[in-house]
Amino acid sequence: MTDMTQLSVVEQFFFYMRENGSYVFSQFLAHFQLSVYGVLLASVIGIPLGIWISKFPKASGPVITLANIIQTIPALALMAIIMLVLGLGKTTVIVTVFFYSLLPIVKNTFVGIRNIDRSLTDAGRGMGMTKFQILYMVELPLSLSVIITGIRIALVVAIGIVAIGAFIGAGGLGDIIIRGTNATSGTAIILAGALPTAIMAIMADVLLLWLEKRLDPTKRKKLRVAA
Amino acid sequence: MKKLIVIFLVTILLSACSNEANDKIRIGSVVTTESQIIAYIVKGMLEYYTDEEVELINNLGSSVVLHQAMLNGDANISAVRYTGTDLTGTLKQEPISDPQKALAAVQRLFQDEFQMTFFDSYGFNNTYAFMVTQETAKQYGLEKISDLKDMASELQVGVDTSWMNREGDGYEGFVETYGFDFGRVFPMQIGLVYNAVSQNEVDVVLGYTTDGRIASYDLVVLEDDLQFFPPYDASPFADTDLLEEKPEVSKALQRLVGKISTEEMQRLNFLADNNLIEPAVVAEEFLKENEYFSGDDTP
Repeated sequence: MTDMTQLSVVEQFFFYMRENGSYVFSQFLAHFQLSVYGVLLASVIGIPLGIWISKFPKASGPVITLANIIQTIPALALMAIIMLVLGLGKTTVIVTVFFYSLLPIVKNTFVGIRNIDRSLTDAGRGMGMTKFQILYMVELPLSLSVIITGIRIALVVAIGIVAIGAFIGAGGLGDIIIRGTNATSGTAIILAGALPTAIMAIMADVLLLWLEKRLDPTKRKKLRVAA
Repeated sequence: MKKLIVIFLVTILLSACSNEANDKIRIGSVVTTESQIIAYIVKGMLEYYTDEEVELINNLGSSVVLHQAMLNGDANISAVRYTGTDLTGTLKQEPISDPQKALAAVQRLFQDEFQMTFFDSYGFNNTYAFMVTQETAKQYGLEKISDLKDMASELQVGVDTSWMNREGDGYEGFVETYGFDFGRVFPMQIGLVYNAVSQNEVDVVLGYTTDGRIASYDLVVLEDDLQFFPPYDASPFADTDLLEEKPEVSKALQRLVGKISTEEMQRLNFLADNNLIEPAVVAEEFLKENEYFSGDDTP
């Protein structure tokens, strides 16, 4: 066994990755899973909520204010408050991510639908579409890319929050970072936890940005015109 | 607004229900490397011998937090509990210096007061010990704690944060027993003390006897000549209800009793702390080496 203190941080990092690669990978997946669960939960509730407040503008003020207030609470504090109710572990982290994801998702859904040209929804109504058909066939397709932007922002934030979740025993890459702070030559271990976290956030961002562009109808139109 | 609140509450309730509904086995462990290695060993054993779903609740701040987590039902097994810590900490008893009596006391008290089972020891004793570097030991001829007496007022000492305020075997008790206090005491997270003494940031530190870094930094452990520190024999710990409901869990834990010596634990800690191997990986290899302790299966 080589003496670790003789190695540089970069060498230690690669040594660590070679020895613990599968463990890091499993924590990577667990981390991603927690982030996605929280954001999915927020989407399931946030998108309908966003649609609803776009139809009832009176409700939009309070709802968005409330979501804004949640956003201002520091992640660690919010997690601690939720922990009082739900206890330690994964559930608490998922619910924390859920609360943080609400604002970007609700707001973007709201803005996406409100910004649709009135003439388009009017045209739909003129064609005899029901309210649901207008929503399903006109409004949602047109606002989809804006909604995806919200989900993208939420997911990137979520990945950061889940890293803190290691403090309440939820696991994930934060576990590796905390261990690094306790180990003798911890720099390499901290990097082994922090770099994959950063890479995950960047990957999620790039991937959803691509999806967002694909789903943007204005861009699609341009392509068709060019063709 | 009302609808919104209802939605919020329903979400919280739903997730809370789903939490109660699946009765996973949840193993709690604290921030120390040792606790995490043992947690993964226990997890490995349970996954090998039972069909239960096992989850880790990692990185808890201290044994007090861990016990609270067990009381709340957030965890139903503690990876490792120490007789000394629990006797004076959780159970608020006077320290007992005889290891056998201490173990018997915690086993009885936890069963009566909390319906929890304190198993027999894994086989290692992770007590507190004062340690210094080789150079310091040679320079001042240090062998036992009493040797520190004459120079104590000039010493800078690094100790575990939780030790400072612990009753009985804490700092106050130490001053009473040995009859001297140190010049300056720096409470810090336990993981940092070994580094601090080897870098000469402090002169003496209070560390754990099973820590792998004692070997890696070549530290000298000072003998506790007045037998102040009570035994900290390490044991598995679990909800009695869980064990009665699932006897196979109890059997799997029982297989680990007496199987990990202090030297073995030091070696495992050393692998994780010094050789950059994750506790999860250390535990897995340890279990494979020992074939999951299936040897004493009597047909």
